[in-house]
Amino acid sequence: MTAFARETWYLGRRTLRRFFRVPANPIGIVLFPLIQLFVFSQLFRDIVQLPGFAGQASYLAYLAPGQIAFTVFFAVSWSGGNLLADYRNGYLDKLRAAPIERYAILAGELVPLALECAFMGGAILVLSVLLGARVETGIPGAAGILLLGAGFGVAWSGMSMIPALVTKNEQATSTLSMLFFPVAFMSTAFVPAALMPDWLKALNTVNPISYVIEAMRALMTTGWDWGVLGAAVVAVGLLGLVLQGATLWAFRRLTS
Amino acid sequence: MDSPSTVAGMDPRARQAPAIEAEGLVKVYRGDVRAVDGIDVRVERGEFFGFLGPNGAGKTTTIRILTTLLRPTAGRARVLGIDVVAQPGQVRRRIGFAMQAVALENLATGRENLELIGRLHRVPGPDLRRRVDELLELMGLAAVADKLAGTYSGGMRRRLDLATALVHRPDVLFLDEPTEGLDPQSRAALWEELARINREGTTMLLTTHYLEEADRLCGRLAIIDGGRIAVSGAPVELKRAIGSDEVNLRLGAGGADDDLARQQDAIVGLLDGFEPLRGLERTADGVRLAVVDADRAVPELLRRLDGDGLHVRGLTIAQPSLDDVFLRHTGRRIRDEQADQPLVLGW
Repeated sequence: MTAFARETWYLGRRTLRRFFRVPANPIGIVLFPLIQLFVFSQLFRDIVQLPGFAGQASYLAYLAPGQIAFTVFFAVSWSGGNLLADYRNGYLDKLRAAPIERYAILAGELVPLALECAFMGGAILVLSVLLGARVETGIPGAAGILLLGAGFGVAWSGMSMIPALVTKNEQATSTLSMLFFPVAFMSTAFVPAALMPDWLKALNTVNPISYVIEAMRALMTTGWDWGVLGAAVVAVGLLGLVLQGATLWAFRRLTS
Repeated sequence: MDSPSTVAGMDPRARQAPAIEAEGLVKVYRGDVRAVDGIDVRVERGEFFGFLGPNGAGKTTTIRILTTLLRPTAGRARVLGIDVVAQPGQVRRRIGFAMQAVALENLATGRENLELIGRLHRVPGPDLRRRVDELLELMGLAAVADKLAGTYSGGMRRRLDLATALVHRPDVLFLDEPTEGLDPQSRAALWEELARINREGTTMLLTTHYLEEADRLCGRLAIIDGGRIAVSGAPVELKRAIGSDEVNLRLGAGGADDDLARQQDAIVGLLDGFEPLRGLERTADGVRLAVVDADRAVPELLRRLDGDGLHVRGLTIAQPSLDDVFLRHTGRRIRDEQADQPLVLGW
């Protein structure tokens, strides 16, 4: 085991410990996605009868992938908070004074975050199936959906990490992450692009979350559409490259 | 990360190198603030060395450079012969650092806090368990070892934080204001603990603005002000170098102010030619004298003052304190300095 992997393991366990010892957190990661799914599936129950939905039988199956991406999106919107707290109370310095790989500190945040995202996605999938939805691609497809969700969550967490590491201010961090909430609302999480005005359609061609949603949706409702899947992987990859690259830069700047 | 083999193959000269050497350390922060302005210091192995100075003197910046957390703008520093800029990983492996702010994982127990830091320092499993138990015992935390650190009192948190700096048995321990914010009992207990750690062979470098702390603990200290070392040496020698003690005479005036003035004038005359006298100052109720070796000089002093019309009601002798040393070398009293931390606004 390399030093980096071992240190990430210890620091990741610390992150998980911190997460699970606040009872609201484990309750939240189960309840938050389920409430989302329940509310939206009831709210828009009859929307599939609109022509743009092109023969979707169940809005639940249509909605579940969008809900996974949406939930992950919001769950990682505060992910910079841990590092910020460590920075403020001096723990980050304590870790830096230890003979460890500096980036293991970052990885120790991101790996548990990926698990958290996959877990929440799993909760939504399980509930949808219990309520009668089907995953057309079966277990492998379900795993693909969770992997995409986790990948997207880790990539998008940069939107909170960057302002946290640059501003070192809680309020600034939450305000700046909030500016990007429309990205999720304007996506194809709830309605297909076909029903959107032209400008929104155009925006969604560059909206990474929509690519992720479309790929998950294909896995859920149609089958292995490699073109759509490939596009999603590229979208997550590019997003991760840009946002986590910037996070790395900001982390480096803060710790040198 | 440097591999362990480089430790074994370390330059043999490094084994005998002093614990800490710094030459011409300078740190300039953004906005042209010279926090450290040319510090040279050498601390031998096994010493208990202190940086004494007011807030903002550059103590914390210096200790952060020595512990590899900050890069110097100029100059170089070696800890145990290892350059802090070139080989920070090697330095980190062999030092412990208890920072000014206690940094603990509040949602972990005392034991878990120690175990995590120990693992990050690669203390092997069975050894780590033993070491953690030993430290919990030593710091008086055994009874609360499995309670969350967030529930600890201020003194317990300090001790746990200190234990995390010791878990890997460092050769050099850096302490930045280790007793800041502690009540007097906890402070005294921690002092004893620190002295004991030093006796067992760990080199200590401490920063403080408490005169008593520096006086009690440090075998040698450097008085630091404005990013420079004003003077350094053993506390006893520094105080002796002041050269004189302070003798305060309280005079019983027969009621009128002019009587006090008359007595003060008389003393000036009576002490003319008194060899140990270095200075005389009138006070609100008598005179203050600077006297060399006051303990021995006082009998002769009293004999001279045994004249008509003088009513000496009280006499106190004060040995010079580190505050006097500070005043002598910086022109200010360390206690005057209550520099508020500047409010940092941004975003």
